[in-house]
Amino acid sequence: MPVANSGAKMTATLITRVLGVSALAATGLMAVLGLVISPPDVVQGEAVRMLYIHVPSIWIAYGGFALTSISSILFLRRSRRRPDQGRHYDRLAGSAAEVGVVFTAITLITGMLWGKVTWGTYWQWDARLTTTVLLFVTYLGYLALRRLPAEPAVRSRRAAVMALISFINVPIVHYSVDWWRTLHQKASLSVGRRPEITGEMYWTLLYSALAVTILATWLIIHRYRVIRLEELRDEEGLEALIASRLNKDFGSH
Amino acid sequence: MLAEIFLVARKDLRVERRAKIALGQVAPLALLILMVFAFALDANTSLLERGAGGLYWLAVLYGGTLLIQRSFDVETDDGNMDALRMSAIGMPSLFLGKALALFVQITVLELILGPGILLLYNVGVVDWVLLIAAAIAGTVAFSVCGVLWGAMSAGLRVRATLLPLLLVPVLAPVLLAGSRAFETALGVRAGAGWTWAGLMFVIAAVHTALGLGAFGFLLEEG
Amino acid sequence: MSEVATVVAGWGITFVILATYSIWVVFRGKGIGRELGIGETEQSDLEKDVGTITDS
Repeated sequence: MPVANSGAKMTATLITRVLGVSALAATGLMAVLGLVISPPDVVQGEAVRMLYIHVPSIWIAYGGFALTSISSILFLRRSRRRPDQGRHYDRLAGSAAEVGVVFTAITLITGMLWGKVTWGTYWQWDARLTTTVLLFVTYLGYLALRRLPAEPAVRSRRAAVMALISFINVPIVHYSVDWWRTLHQKASLSVGRRPEITGEMYWTLLYSALAVTILATWLIIHRYRVIRLEELRDEEGLEALIASRLNKDFGSH
Repeated sequence: MLAEIFLVARKDLRVERRAKIALGQVAPLALLILMVFAFALDANTSLLERGAGGLYWLAVLYGGTLLIQRSFDVETDDGNMDALRMSAIGMPSLFLGKALALFVQITVLELILGPGILLLYNVGVVDWVLLIAAAIAGTVAFSVCGVLWGAMSAGLRVRATLLPLLLVPVLAPVLLAGSRAFETALGVRAGAGWTWAGLMFVIAAVHTALGLGAFGFLLEEG
Repeated sequence: MSEVATVVAGWGITFVILATYSIWVVFRGKGIGRELGIGETEQSDLEKDVGTITDS
């Protein structure tokens, strides 16, 4: 059976297993570096350790959403020409968005905890917090749209358009909330400017970003496979249904 | 193209004139919402005065969402969508036509809500030009986003719950900008009212451009 | 909450979320795979991977 051959690839390959083990080892080392080896901050004290999760998580989240948008563009371009070609990009968009949502949730939780010890309150109506919550809800909506019972092609196309528009909206949302109020400390690492975090803390942060990226990649690949398997199952279910109908029809004749 | 746009808009407005959903149901409901806000804030006059702009736009959001839903229910209910797809009307014209019809309906809603906040919340207008410009900008943004997101959830079984979930995050900047601009126009906060009105025009323009490009994808079948 | 407790809570919640999500994804994939009768030979190794993720 041809399915069995390609089937092995759908649940595990050597590459993903290596990736999975690396993700595990990397996150373990990240915990050691972030919690034990790196020093407490002069100003923030121990609370700075929260940033090793918080900051890479939002990078991953934005990366995931960017991947979703790029895949959606490719999906829209391919699916028009050849009806079946775009499926790959649709699955990639869906899995990247879901992983992005998970990491946005982590960003929000760690951010609120960090705010509690640093600002003295869980929530501040500042630009980045508010934007992140809106982003979180937007992509929850995107995932809801993807789960709806509808014709797969129609649903995928609408989801792709939504992903695209939502991503274009991110700067609009950000700047409007930014005008509204700004309290948050400046970005921790940015191009062309000396990072405010230095030395061991800087390297720990960079390393954490790498570890989290490996983990996110592994998650996206596995989530992609699950979507593909779900599609296969639905197709098989449909075929079985048709077959049983046909049998019944033949039986009655 | 202009003729097509007006054709689509006239069709939607004729449906509305016969059914009278916007005037007969949505507008009274939105007025009720203004009353309920006063309950929530314990009829605290100074709070209501300061919040009038924001509460106005929340009421518009509520009523507008219902109108958007309605705008696409009339298309999908009896397979009208297929007829529209078969007609020679281009997708950009369809998009702009539906947005225009929605703009007219939401404007009517706002013409009822506007006096509502002036009377119920005891506020006065200090800058009419800004007020009207902000109202127009906000309404255009509402209409184009509404048509875009209405099409996104059109024909799906759970659209009644899906549409607000998708729409509110997108309209959040419009609500924010509209509230701030109205506060300045109503004289309860000195500030950059025109900047906020401008932002709403930018949002409206961006979504119009996106809608012109993407509307076809949303309504395509199979 | 003290700083240390907050940091522990933050890291703890993060790892619980990531472990739960990873396990869900892998097991859902395997569940459907089994339904379709594919990829069964690979199972034992993956289970080991996921088991250790929860420990870290």
